[in-house]
Amino acid sequence: MKIALRDVSKRFGATTAVNNVSLDICDGELFTLLGPSGCGKTTLLRLLAGFAAVDGGEIRFGQRRVDRLPPYARNIGMVFQNYALWPHMTVRGNVTYGLRLRKLTAAEIARRMAAGLARVNLTGLEDRYPGQLSGGEQQRVALVRALVLNPDILLLDEPLSNLDAKIRVQVRGEIRALQRDLAITTVYVTHDQEEALSLSDRVAVMREGRVQQVAAPKALYERPANRFVADFVGTNNFIPGVVKEHADGHALVETPLGRIRARAGDVGLGAACVLAVRPENVALDGADENRVEGRVRLAAYLGNTLRYDVETATGLVLKVDVGDPWQHEVLPAGHDVHVTFPASATLVLRDD
Amino acid sequence: MNDGAVAATPGRRITASVLPALAVALIWSFLAIFLVYPLLRIFYDAFSDDAGRLTLQNFLTFAGDGFYRRSLWNSLLLGLGTVAATSVLGFAIALLLVRYDFPGRNLFGYLTLIPIVSPPLVGVLGFTFIMGKAGTVNVLLEDWFGLANPINFVYGLHGVLLVETFHLFPMITLNVVDALGRIDPSLEEAAESVGARGWRKLSTITVPLTTPGYVAGALLVFIWTFSDFATPLVLGVHDLLASQAYLNIVQFVDRRLFRMGLVISALMVALAIVFLVAARRYVAIKDYSSLSYSRVPRRRLRPLAAAGAVTFLSAVMLFSFVPYLGVGLASVGKGWSMTAFPERYTGLFFERIVVETPKYIVNSFLYSTLAVLLCIVVGVPIAWILARTRLPGRDVLDGLNTLILAVPGTAIGIAYVRAFHVELPWLATPLTSLWIILPIVLAVRRLPYTVRGSYASLLLVHRSMEEAAASVGARGLRSFGDVTLPLIWRGVLVGSLFSFVTSLQEASAVLFLSLGGWETIPVGIFSFYIAGSANEAAALGVILIAVAAASVVVINRVAGARMGGMFG
Repeated sequence: MKIALRDVSKRFGATTAVNNVSLDICDGELFTLLGPSGCGKTTLLRLLAGFAAVDGGEIRFGQRRVDRLPPYARNIGMVFQNYALWPHMTVRGNVTYGLRLRKLTAAEIARRMAAGLARVNLTGLEDRYPGQLSGGEQQRVALVRALVLNPDILLLDEPLSNLDAKIRVQVRGEIRALQRDLAITTVYVTHDQEEALSLSDRVAVMREGRVQQVAAPKALYERPANRFVADFVGTNNFIPGVVKEHADGHALVETPLGRIRARAGDVGLGAACVLAVRPENVALDGADENRVEGRVRLAAYLGNTLRYDVETATGLVLKVDVGDPWQHEVLPAGHDVHVTFPASATLVLRDD
Repeated sequence: MNDGAVAATPGRRITASVLPALAVALIWSFLAIFLVYPLLRIFYDAFSDDAGRLTLQNFLTFAGDGFYRRSLWNSLLLGLGTVAATSVLGFAIALLLVRYDFPGRNLFGYLTLIPIVSPPLVGVLGFTFIMGKAGTVNVLLEDWFGLANPINFVYGLHGVLLVETFHLFPMITLNVVDALGRIDPSLEEAAESVGARGWRKLSTITVPLTTPGYVAGALLVFIWTFSDFATPLVLGVHDLLASQAYLNIVQFVDRRLFRMGLVISALMVALAIVFLVAARRYVAIKDYSSLSYSRVPRRRLRPLAAAGAVTFLSAVMLFSFVPYLGVGLASVGKGWSMTAFPERYTGLFFERIVVETPKYIVNSFLYSTLAVLLCIVVGVPIAWILARTRLPGRDVLDGLNTLILAVPGTAIGIAYVRAFHVELPWLATPLTSLWIILPIVLAVRRLPYTVRGSYASLLLVHRSMEEAAASVGARGLRSFGDVTLPLIWRGVLVGSLFSFVTSLQEASAVLFLSLGGWETIPVGIFSFYIAGSANEAAALGVILIAVAAASVVVINRVAGARMGGMFG
């Protein structure tokens, strides 16, 4: 089922939580709303679910316009951040509640419940109460409860945020596999960019109620549309500057660190811009064309990488990742180095 | 550094460990002497004959007597009936107040609290003035519609049910309001997303989730009704257990009847404990309280629905406030018989109770103040032990504290009469002959409110806050005084105020123990009314109401409307 949002807005008093959002979500896609807290992603999800009413715009599931419908008429399945399992009902009670409301036969109810629980390996826990389940198990019961009704759309509100780091990765994989299996259109809300990149087909990054960029994970990481996205997704070094020249697919940018070559962006000549280059694309004393002098201020050993903070003459600090610390002797603070990075990994972004 | 040196000296260390142990020992002795011993004493009396031999004969006599059996049955019926009536009323009001918005919502929320702190004796008096056979309503009906025989609104079991319901429904409302506030909105949204709405959502999700709070409130309503003898007696109902206990004990002539009074008290305590344990068991497996970060938003009612809500609440409030109107008029009205309203108005009755015999008011305030001080001295440490320590016997302490809520005042009063009628060794006089017994019994009866108020706020002060104070150098009492106390004083104050107001209103236990010269306001109301001086009784009632109303204002200011925890 496709989802189409047109100019959807939602205000709470003076604040606009969702501001003129238009999105097209494809059939069977896992679409993630990513952003910092307060960006409007959860509100947008609740507008899709029908727990909040739009102030303007329209929402369609397939051809059907749903923005005036109550939640139960939208045929959605929702998984809440805190799971929202009813504590006074067993797993069986939770999973079959919606089925019973639909007056299905007992046999059909039992069949759907058994199939649902089997899918997430919870068979045998039917008579437990939510309080007797682990966090991961509760999460999966919530997922089954949402799915047994065969919803058109699955909505997930930060479903992993209450789980331990290790379990989170595991459940993340399970959710993705299940979603692929069912080919169900899914909208997933998270503030965790790693989660968003790892399981989404496409991601919409939101800020202050507006969508900043919609892209597949790889494109989002490698071609952020603006400084906010470049900063929020992953880590970036930012160098302010002015575009001086465009030549053979490159831009020459005048910065406090000197002239830097970058990929040509959509910033015009003479306009103020910001250069973004990720730490993993920056090297110490490498052969790349952009070269800046600096001094090591701090070295942080992270196991799989070693991150240097290198202070340049202007005071600007550049983060530099050494990808293979096993082969590298840690430089002491105060050591003079040259920081180098390729033009191909340097993006020109509008400064917003 | 100097402080450290002092703290390290042996003397200081010994006091530091001896003092708390002494305090704990004192608290335990207090409860043992003034709660456990009297209760054991009436059980012993119930199971023994005049010669002190253990026997079951008393219970066989009880079971063999048709009148007693009917009293037991009536009491159970009345209790359950009141629970049912207060539940419907209390739940409806709580739901309206928490989930919907309509004109006057705040005012109604505030008014709902008043009946619960208003004196029960006053309530029943007021009802008889307005709704009695010669009361305002019947007189008006006669005048306007030529009604031949007055309608019996209040005399009889149905009257007791009516009066108790309108007095006690706030207990349910408060607990349900509290419980509704703890339901995470997503639980209901989840129900909506799978298709439950309206009544279905309410009955299968919302109502079950309020279980713990609701059961606690219902239990208190039941026990209160079950053990109230003053209301039935004023309304002429004698065939109830509590009424029988009172009548049998106070006659003091027939030893056999006196013994039956003790048996009935023991039975009431036993039943109360059974119900308490059953309710606790039930609640323990149904504790769903989750920390909720947000609340279900209030829905603004459409004009028609809002009008309905306001009408419903106004009707309930009107009924709840009928007694105040009656008592107010009676306190200043002269010649109020066979007329709808008093003929003339006078300050005579107030003059009588305030100027001529001020003892009622003086005694009430003196005893209640002493009782509250005792409550704080004993109750705050108990709360602290429960919330902060792993001392052995914590569970027993907690259980005793809850037990007090369940034990009928009637039974406590009777138990004290029996237990403390022995001469104290060094005074050559029994404790029952000293007025100090009244503040003590009041303190014991109202201890749970102080403990609960303090305990609830102690739980809110996370231990790490005290530890943080300790980590920057505040030791022991210092961190308690600087960090804990400023954070819990509201809870302690609200609990204590509640203990105070309810002490002022305590009738049942005090009626058994009060001797000439010790009369409190409720005792005065009861004896004035029984002696036929209803106006003086009403004037005393007005004073109680005024104090109650003032206390509600203060409690509301200090604690907001979150009083539910006090009754859980």
